[in-house]
Amino acid sequence: MDLLIIFISAAVVNNFVLIYFLGICPFLGVSNKTEKAFSMGLATTFVMVLAALVTWLINNLILIPFNLPFLQYVSFIIVIASLVQFVEMFIRKTSSTLYRALGIFLPLITTNCAILGLALLAALREYNFIQSVVFGFAAGVGFTLALLIMAGIREELEMAPIPEPFKGAPITLIIAGLLALAFMGFAGLIAG
Amino acid sequence: MNKIVRMIVVLGVIGLISGGTLALVYQWALPKIIENQIRETKAAIFKVLPETRSYKKVVKDELTYFECFDDRGERAGTAILCKGNGYQGEIKLMVGVNADFTKFTGLTILEQVETPGLGAKIAERKFFKQFKDLATKPPIAYVKGRPPEKPNQIQAITGATISSRAVVNIINKTVKEWLEIQ
Amino acid sequence: MAGNPVKRNLSYEFLKGLWDESPIFRQLLGMCPTLAVTTTAINALSMGLATSFVLVCSATIVSFIRKLIPNQVRIASYIVVIATFVTIADLFLKGNFPDISKALGPFVPLIVVNCLILGRAEVFASRHDPFPAFVDALGMGFGFSIALTVLGTVREILGSGTIFGFLNFEPWVIMILPGGAFITLGLLIGLMNMIKERTK
Repeated sequence: MDLLIIFISAAVVNNFVLIYFLGICPFLGVSNKTEKAFSMGLATTFVMVLAALVTWLINNLILIPFNLPFLQYVSFIIVIASLVQFVEMFIRKTSSTLYRALGIFLPLITTNCAILGLALLAALREYNFIQSVVFGFAAGVGFTLALLIMAGIREELEMAPIPEPFKGAPITLIIAGLLALAFMGFAGLIAG
Repeated sequence: MNKIVRMIVVLGVIGLISGGTLALVYQWALPKIIENQIRETKAAIFKVLPETRSYKKVVKDELTYFECFDDRGERAGTAILCKGNGYQGEIKLMVGVNADFTKFTGLTILEQVETPGLGAKIAERKFFKQFKDLATKPPIAYVKGRPPEKPNQIQAITGATISSRAVVNIINKTVKEWLEIQ
Repeated sequence: MAGNPVKRNLSYEFLKGLWDESPIFRQLLGMCPTLAVTTTAINALSMGLATSFVLVCSATIVSFIRKLIPNQVRIASYIVVIATFVTIADLFLKGNFPDISKALGPFVPLIVVNCLILGRAEVFASRHDPFPAFVDALGMGFGFSIALTVLGTVREILGSGTIFGFLNFEPWVIMILPGGAFITLGLLIGLMNMIKERTK
């Protein structure tokens, strides 16, 4: 039940992109085609689960026992950056199909603030190991969901007569605003 | 080979300088941070139990509460930390209970992320002052759209029933658990 | 034309961050804090200042050590430098301004992944001397802070109706909700594009 609440909360009620504003850069950049959006979402979800797992271990096995909270940000970001590198190398060696689908998105993920945000929020909320991993997965699902919805809308928009100055980022942001309002409808699902 | 050694040395030195600097800054900031936290806790306790002069923190069975004493050193009551899920995220609050565990002495909201302008009104005096002097048993109930008629009822905020109900449920649940271990 | 090219150059490096290369309105960098903390003008300004501090310090340091760092580990080194200054800023806020620190929450540590900072380190500071790098970072930080404050002010006036005592209308709650953040920013960027078109 507890895990279900964490999942619903991170995936829809407090959607990482639309409510917490994490991962806006890829959200604006990669949301023009549904297939691309889906691959990006998949790659991000994968890294998010791994990042949640590894940063939990670092935080609870090193930083907390040795009383080094001030190294949290430095160590988390290094871990995430190296993690992305490893995942890229691993995928390139093992599956060329997967690499072709996800490869180009991986470098972009390092500076995706959603990953660091996820690690920090999990540490801040003192989630246990399982909760952290579920949280990471849910955040990825929420990210993919937001990206897919946006990509679907933007594909339709290509035909729409948008005033010239509002093409691109401005209209995307305005639509994101409307989506964020729609997502507020999910709030209350977790209330006690 | 030389190149790899240089890479490792450079990264190591940067890491060491970074860690050392941060350790120093942390030494400087830590007392202030602790002081801020204590001041915050004190302010919250004083809000729910104004006669408190000193307090003792107790952590028991996942509950955190503060035994409070007045200026003559006698028990003034207890301030209990409560948390649970609201409409959009976690709500943290503190309730005061009088010395013989029968009545609430006050409520203050510590952290909330409810909808601004609607659910966030739980942090306004008009809402939380309703909890003062309610009995700790039976559980608090809420009514919508009209002033409460029966004892131990509060009026939910118009347009924010879920946030109001969440506050009521969080208090009822925590206080029940707390009464059981007294 | 001869005059003083160095000086003109520097003032250009400083001012480009305000309009031509405004991090938020033109380059669309650092969007997370832009949207998240601009519910009030004061939060927006604090975030802008904290980011500028990190930006200026890390750009200067990166420029100083740029010749010592092997190319393969440069991004990793920059990230460590940036994360160090972010931690310093975070500890400073927690120690001296606990209320602001609480209001900004996890968005202070998230300055680490603000693409603007790594971007400036990689594009500018790693290729210029410390002083130009310092000026460039200062200008970008200034532009970032101004843009954040504009956004925060608009949202505070419309969303809370509180910024001036004499304002007295029913506030539009939507402006301080997440949706309002996206919509305000979208409209402001559109508006800037329109002005740019007209003045061409």
